[in-house]
Amino acid sequence: MSTTLQGRASSPGVAVAGAFVIRRVEVDTEAAAAGTPEEEKQRADAALEQVEATLTELAESKREMLGDEADIFLAHADFAGDPEIADMVHDAIDEGSSAPTAVTAAFDSFRALLEKSGDEYLAGRATDIDDVRDQVLDVLAGRQDAPVPTEPSVVVAHELTPSQTARLPRELIAGVACAAGSPTSHAAILSRSLGIPAVMGVTGLLAHVEDGVTLALDGEAGTVVVAPDDDQRSAFEQRITEQEERRERLSALRDEPGATADGHRVELAANIGGLEDVEAADEHGAEGSGLVRTEFLFQESAEEPSIEEQAAFYRKVLAGLPGHRVVFRTMDVGADKPLPFVVRDPEENPALGVRGIRLGLLQLDLLVNQLRALLRSRDPDAEQGTLAVMFPLVSAPDEVRRAREAFAVAADAEGIDHSNIEVGVMIEVPAAALSARRLAPLVDFFSVGTNDLLQYLFAADRLLADVADLPDVCDPDVLRLLGTVVEAAHEHGAWVGVCGESAADPASAAAYVGLGIDELSMTPASVPQVKDALRRVELETLQAAVRTAQDAEDATTARKVLREALGG
Amino acid sequence: MPSQTVTLENETGLHARPARVFAKKAKEFDCDVSVAKTNGEADPVNAKSTLSVLTLDCHQGDEIEIITEGENADEALSTLVELVESGLGE
Repeated sequence: MSTTLQGRASSPGVAVAGAFVIRRVEVDTEAAAAGTPEEEKQRADAALEQVEATLTELAESKREMLGDEADIFLAHADFAGDPEIADMVHDAIDEGSSAPTAVTAAFDSFRALLEKSGDEYLAGRATDIDDVRDQVLDVLAGRQDAPVPTEPSVVVAHELTPSQTARLPRELIAGVACAAGSPTSHAAILSRSLGIPAVMGVTGLLAHVEDGVTLALDGEAGTVVVAPDDDQRSAFEQRITEQEERRERLSALRDEPGATADGHRVELAANIGGLEDVEAADEHGAEGSGLVRTEFLFQESAEEPSIEEQAAFYRKVLAGLPGHRVVFRTMDVGADKPLPFVVRDPEENPALGVRGIRLGLLQLDLLVNQLRALLRSRDPDAEQGTLAVMFPLVSAPDEVRRAREAFAVAADAEGIDHSNIEVGVMIEVPAAALSARRLAPLVDFFSVGTNDLLQYLFAADRLLADVADLPDVCDPDVLRLLGTVVEAAHEHGAWVGVCGESAADPASAAAYVGLGIDELSMTPASVPQVKDALRRVELETLQAAVRTAQDAEDATTARKVLREALGG
Repeated sequence: MPSQTVTLENETGLHARPARVFAKKAKEFDCDVSVAKTNGEADPVNAKSTLSVLTLDCHQGDEIEIITEGENADEALSTLVELVESGLGE
């Protein structure tokens, strides 16, 4: 008889494999010290040091695979090397504790302090502290090598720590199931970045699962079937085959251009926030970039980076995307993301204050220097992408004129002809969307920043859970507004892109293409699935769908219409 | 004992990575470094311990006091104040 356990869907995909159960070994904290206090201290110090070194090494070796997620191991290494932990351990040993008991007490006292704070972030660190504590205890107990599966398995645990997840050989993990945790647990995040199906928070998991029993795990429905019968098993295996076929189909599309089934071109570009995204863009077959964020270049340094320093970075981005258009957005900073070298009075309402191009026009040197660096990054002898420049948070035609003047000043200073470089503006302020007709003659392109545009249109902070559901880009009247923006642009020979997470959402992407938007720029990893979805549908179908969506009662109905147009 | 108060301007305060950045910088000095939340009830804690710094639960806008004692105490103090003012790497 099979049993189906319900958990929370945490990383997509399905898997059928034997269970590999990781159970925690309890430490006997009552045990007396094995050696003299001096010996126990040395044992404890050595174990702490070893764990610190192992975790530091783990962070470096996994950085390529995990990117910034690997920072978690540096944080853990830091906990193992914490001087207060060492002091507390020594004190406890002096009072007669064994090394394992002293280590447990030291980590647990910090755990209690952080949990007591009432701060959600700090309380969440309790799991991290437990993770590090257990690794130190493992070393003390001589459990050097954690057991690893010998064949592809579904890893089952009460809670899987990041270090456990990262240490398990990727090719042997078919899936991950945990009794505790949620889609935001580290193990879930790691599983997603490694492409491993995962279900977290499965009640009764460890009571039902023995080592080696077959599990069928569905990372989308959040279910774990223990000992599936033949029918269940073949249904899962069928889905695994489809999953693999889909993966192959997507990778076969890598070098194909973005287009609908009837050949209507839509450029599918990647949003770039750092050099790692440039690589990812190339890997996923993105056609250049519709948004290169440049602000982090400025936020990470105490003084304004020199023109040459900036140009060196821009050049690397251009070199990584040869043959495609690369749109650089001038720095989008403001009181919400202050720069160390720009001193301004604090603002009561940063979202409505000196942000984006407003700051650039007030501190013209900053803007001109950045534009000079962008111009300087072009190298006619090198194989590189085509530079385009975009100004953020524009709300009125006069700002565009002044930004273009700054561009001319920069070109003069560099002695470069800038007439063949495309210049565009972000459409993210409602006023800009409403005055698209007056902005269009001044630019070569618009790029709709859906995140900010929606936040301003609905007066709702998307990061505030209680109001986050209000804004929806598929709202019928938002779709109408976008339609007028596209019309205005095309009337003046300008093209229109969308950069924002919504470009990767199938229903929204369907609406954008139906409205005539020429380019969609999104997270690099989303490019293949959008490319695949578009290639299955004709332009006319999407045009009809978006017209129906514009007349819909609400965003939910509009979304349904758009999804149906995509064939489900 | 040199000491100075400074306001946390960076978004995450003394949490997450900024806490680590702060403790790491404190560790570079041989002198004792402690830190307290101004108006907080808790005693100053060892600034070289990320875990201790985290327990202060300092957020953006909170004022902290940095206290140094021993070799190069003045240099340690000004370096750490500057680090906090520059946003702790955020």
